[in-house]
Amino acid sequence: MFNLPIEGEELFVLEFGDIVNYFSLYTTTLFLFATAFIIIAIIARPERQTDIIFGTDAVYTKEVSPDNLRFQRFMAIACGLATLGAVCSGDLFNFCLFTALIGITNIGIVAGVNNRYVLNAAYNYGIVAMVATTFLFGGAATALGSCGTLSIWELAGLGMVPLAAKMFLVLGVMGEGMAPFYIAKAEITRAPGAPYVLMIHVSSLLIFLRVIEIILTV
Amino acid sequence: MIRLIGKGFRTFSNWMSTYENLVAVYAVLGIIVAICGIIMVPLITYHEDQIYSKSINRDSPLDPYDRGGVPFTKVDIEAQYPENSPAAGYVTTYLTPFSWFIANNTPFLGTTIVAHPGGILDEILYNTRGLDTIVETSILFAAFAIASFLFRRKE
Repeated sequence: MFNLPIEGEELFVLEFGDIVNYFSLYTTTLFLFATAFIIIAIIARPERQTDIIFGTDAVYTKEVSPDNLRFQRFMAIACGLATLGAVCSGDLFNFCLFTALIGITNIGIVAGVNNRYVLNAAYNYGIVAMVATTFLFGGAATALGSCGTLSIWELAGLGMVPLAAKMFLVLGVMGEGMAPFYIAKAEITRAPGAPYVLMIHVSSLLIFLRVIEIILTV
Repeated sequence: MIRLIGKGFRTFSNWMSTYENLVAVYAVLGIIVAICGIIMVPLITYHEDQIYSKSINRDSPLDPYDRGGVPFTKVDIEAQYPENSPAAGYVTTYLTPFSWFIANNTPFLGTTIVAHPGGILDEILYNTRGLDTIVETSILFAAFAIASFLFRRKE
């Protein structure tokens, strides 16, 4: 596997029975990136949004209640940990599970915002994330049914995984990683509790990079 | 002509920028990929040398979870990396007395795996692929955390 062009050299192997996670140069880069953003989510204070009434002197600052803050921070860290799992997983089904966990925690991060408009966007994203799991696990199931194994170590470089399974995987990750579109539209980056929303963008970016590596490898 | 294309493009980009429509976009993509997938079914080759193969005994009351074997002895289980699972094959199936009663009296135990705790431990799932079960329960945990947060929120 490590003589393929995309991976780089082998650095570390972590065994969980049949699920053997690996750190190559590529996945370690993604792993360190995600770790950095988990640390940011742990130490960052939430942004307090300021509204200025145009033409007057009035300025409003929105407070973030400790309950919402705690919940959003917890979900951001959970999302980061799921991203760590997804980027170093050496197993197709395990990767799909971590990606589904990322989708759920993304909804959780947004659910902490007290804003009807933002929650509506989160609801729409939730529908897409739910439908996407069908494709995600359908892709893994097709790969398992055809090749009889899910281990990326065994499948690497053989080209045994059918094209349909790869298409399903990519579409599934697209659905789960669609959150930034909703976020950008609902302007939640400027909403109260802003730093935790960064984790949604980071996790989407990293699972896209990882699924590209997987479909080029298997 | 160019103005017409520009107008069409503006209408399209306005439609796309409404997030309620993204579900429809994803649905169209999903339909296209699903149709492609169905067309590609004959191209999917089945590789004979599969691990995790199993033979199903349809007459067993434990169908389809009957893995065979004698209790308290080692059973041959195929694992991808046998060196990582030294205890594989020792924990094959475990039935609680209640499950044993259902298995002996009805043919439906195979359909009630989630209905009673400790019913059947699947060797492949719980011994060689243990990380899967941990991540699955984490997904459930995250979902329950969100649901309870939304339920208890004062508004």
